[in-house]
Amino acid sequence: MLKRLSVLLIVLALVAAACGDDDAETTETSAATTETTAAGGDTAQTGDGVLATVQARGVLKCGVSGSATAFSEQQPDGSATGFDADYCRYIAAAVLGDSEAVEFTFLTAAERFTAVQTGAVDILIRNTTWTQSRDTDVGMDFAPTTYYDGQQVMAREGDGFSGGSQITDLEGATVCTNAGTTTEKNITELTTQLGVDITLNTFEDFNQVMDQYIAGACDAVTTDGSGLVGRKATQQTAGENWVIFPAFPISKEPLGPVTGQNDSQWLDIAKWAVFSSILFDEHGVTSANAAGRAGEEGEVGRLLGGDGELQTSMGLSADAWLNAVSQVGNYDEMFTRNLVPVGISREGSANASYLDGGLIYAPPAR
Amino acid sequence: MTIQIDEPRERHQRVPPWRNVTFLKWAAQVVFLIGILAVFWILGSQAGDNLDERGISVSFDFLADPPGIALAEGIDVRPDTGARALYTGIVNMLRVTVAGIFAATILGIIIGIARLSSNWIVNKVATVYIEIVRNIPLLVQIIAWGVIITTVPGNLELDSGPIGCALAEPGCEAWFVVSNKGASFAWLFPADGFWQWLTFLMIGVGASIWVYRRRMRLKEDRGDETYALTWGTLTVVVFAAVGWFVHPIMGFLGYLWGWIADLFDALPVWTIQTVLALLAVFFAGMWIKGFLDDRRTPAGLAKLTDDDIFRIGSAAAAGLAGVVLFFSFAGISDWILNSGRDLFSVMDSKFEFLEGGSPLAMSRPSIAQPGNFPNYGATGLTMSKLFFPVFIGVTIYTAAFIAEVVRGGILAISKGQSEAGLALGLRRNQLLRFIILPQAFRIILPPMGNQYLNLAKNTSLGIAVAYPEVVAVGQTLYNQTGATIPVVILWMLFYVSVSLFISSIVNWYNRRVALVER
Repeated sequence: MLKRLSVLLIVLALVAAACGDDDAETTETSAATTETTAAGGDTAQTGDGVLATVQARGVLKCGVSGSATAFSEQQPDGSATGFDADYCRYIAAAVLGDSEAVEFTFLTAAERFTAVQTGAVDILIRNTTWTQSRDTDVGMDFAPTTYYDGQQVMAREGDGFSGGSQITDLEGATVCTNAGTTTEKNITELTTQLGVDITLNTFEDFNQVMDQYIAGACDAVTTDGSGLVGRKATQQTAGENWVIFPAFPISKEPLGPVTGQNDSQWLDIAKWAVFSSILFDEHGVTSANAAGRAGEEGEVGRLLGGDGELQTSMGLSADAWLNAVSQVGNYDEMFTRNLVPVGISREGSANASYLDGGLIYAPPAR
Repeated sequence: MTIQIDEPRERHQRVPPWRNVTFLKWAAQVVFLIGILAVFWILGSQAGDNLDERGISVSFDFLADPPGIALAEGIDVRPDTGARALYTGIVNMLRVTVAGIFAATILGIIIGIARLSSNWIVNKVATVYIEIVRNIPLLVQIIAWGVIITTVPGNLELDSGPIGCALAEPGCEAWFVVSNKGASFAWLFPADGFWQWLTFLMIGVGASIWVYRRRMRLKEDRGDETYALTWGTLTVVVFAAVGWFVHPIMGFLGYLWGWIADLFDALPVWTIQTVLALLAVFFAGMWIKGFLDDRRTPAGLAKLTDDDIFRIGSAAAAGLAGVVLFFSFAGISDWILNSGRDLFSVMDSKFEFLEGGSPLAMSRPSIAQPGNFPNYGATGLTMSKLFFPVFIGVTIYTAAFIAEVVRGGILAISKGQSEAGLALGLRRNQLLRFIILPQAFRIILPPMGNQYLNLAKNTSLGIAVAYPEVVAVGQTLYNQTGATIPVVILWMLFYVSVSLFISSIVNWYNRRVALVER
């Protein structure tokens, strides 16, 4: 009896000791890592920030959708192509020097926030709408908007719809969308306000939604306008004409990258990745001519790592944005490569540069 | 010479604590309990610190906030609060579970007995069914049924269903309509006089049990066949038939329900609290008394072991906790009063003296088009394209397992029993009814309960076909509010409660039919 008692006490003591020591150990190792990687930098954060973790790991873990046409589409070899996937590569090139050092994680709308909250992915670029509740309640921080979108509905012309149809024409319809999205909330709110009676079916995966719509089990689908345009371009059944309405979207859907909460250094990196891509577009710096323009004076030179550059004080290497734009391209190149083929253009939309009357604007790099 | 007699007795009576068995036992248990609590406290505080650091909330506020979502089906498709949304999801889950348990049991028993049939075709069909269904994962089956219901039947039209008559003709209603929006059947629903008729029927059931018992006693006394079962069934049928026309008389009970409802309204809360507290003390006392009586021998009360003392202590503590609980949380008693009053008011409204039409009404499917799209109307029993795959999927899957359980139970009865029965001159169906099935029932019951639990938990796969049961609704909620951990806690509590409830019913029935051993 006594022997058993003493063994138990020793086990408990060991457990308590192990738990108590954990905190001290991790802070020591991560402080050492930050010191070695932030050469010359003095604003490197002590403790385990995401930048330190990514640099130590050598790979950027990026959360994307996998089923968002033109934004992130899953490829057979496990990678992703699309506008959001390209931004993952842009950030990987900036932080790690190699745009292919990305590990894509394909997340449903239900899983994405938990993945960011718990740090399972370093950054989430998954056409996520920036809303007040997500910024505060859910525990994430938003980088600047890369695509200004709006929610619309798609139905068949054969059922009596046209581009000028209104939400009130959906009376009695079965509308399908993604579960756990702002889309769901918006359509519910709007139909309650207008007194329109619809049956809302919400699915985990948008591919499932489209299958139901094509089979006729759903009368209409709703999601961001860009998603609808993409699906119409790739999946419209021969002989049918799918119309997208209303002409003016029913909600604002500013889409952009998302990071975990309270990591200012990492959020700054995400922010200035987006801003640098926009500034490169404003100055006409492309993947082809970036290397040649590295010695220029002014904003372009600073962004490309010349005199007065600010990348090192952020914890990155001086040529971070140079690597990113040479390997992936600027905002316009990424947009043209991915979104123009499905029929989305920048001209006349909110995604044109501010110089052309749109909303794509970046603060100065000074 | 003085003889020292006291010393040996002293040495026996005072053993030092570190050699005293009783003390050591208690001390070890207390230390172990402290150790376990300490480990949990360390883990819990660590988890709490990590959650705070990442900004993940563990509050249950989302239950009171409007969720802003619509559900595809349920008792409340536009819930006002998160709690109401989860409640709708729970009701949806229970709908599938209860319907599935009944359907799977019936189908499973049929297939299980079919597999034992001597008819080769019936036997083989049952075998193929079981082998195929058992070996395909349920998720795959549910998704398959979902795909079938959305692609195979075709679109719902206003003037006819794929199976049914042209609804455009006046006075013509379909019996059965299947489309990619779901399936709708003709069904009997309770109508105006249903509850009054039911009360009459219950009196009939009581009368028939009395008739049956009398006839059985007569049979045992006299020795010849008195057809007790036939007389009993006949009594029920007669009461049901007479009650169909006569049930308005039962409406006088409405006055009783109304009076009880007023009584509930008039009672102050402290009466219920006192009653509940007294009940708690009473039940604890009765249990302790029964416990002690079990240990009473003709030579007096047996020595109580530590375990016994622990149990008595727990019972007393439970009684005391009940008293404290009921007095400090007036909400419970308040809820009982309100629910009682509401229940009896509803019953009052259903019982009208000398009024009430036909108890059951046949409701046939209809198709309505309020806007641009036709959909099922309000009549008939409609299974939406979301409910259908989940219900059919879990029923067919669980029926295969229940069939094997039934077959195993019947085969477990030794061959000697059927040989003896046949030797006595019983026919095959009498053999099954009187000898095999009663014994097999005892063996079948625990695994059957297991399958019911599996069915209840398998309904959570409904999320794959967007059926809005509690897991799907919970996921949507935690996505919109970020409250992942509270939702998961609620899920676990709900499933544990449902499973414990089902298993307690099965265990109670099991104890009743168990063999009493010496």
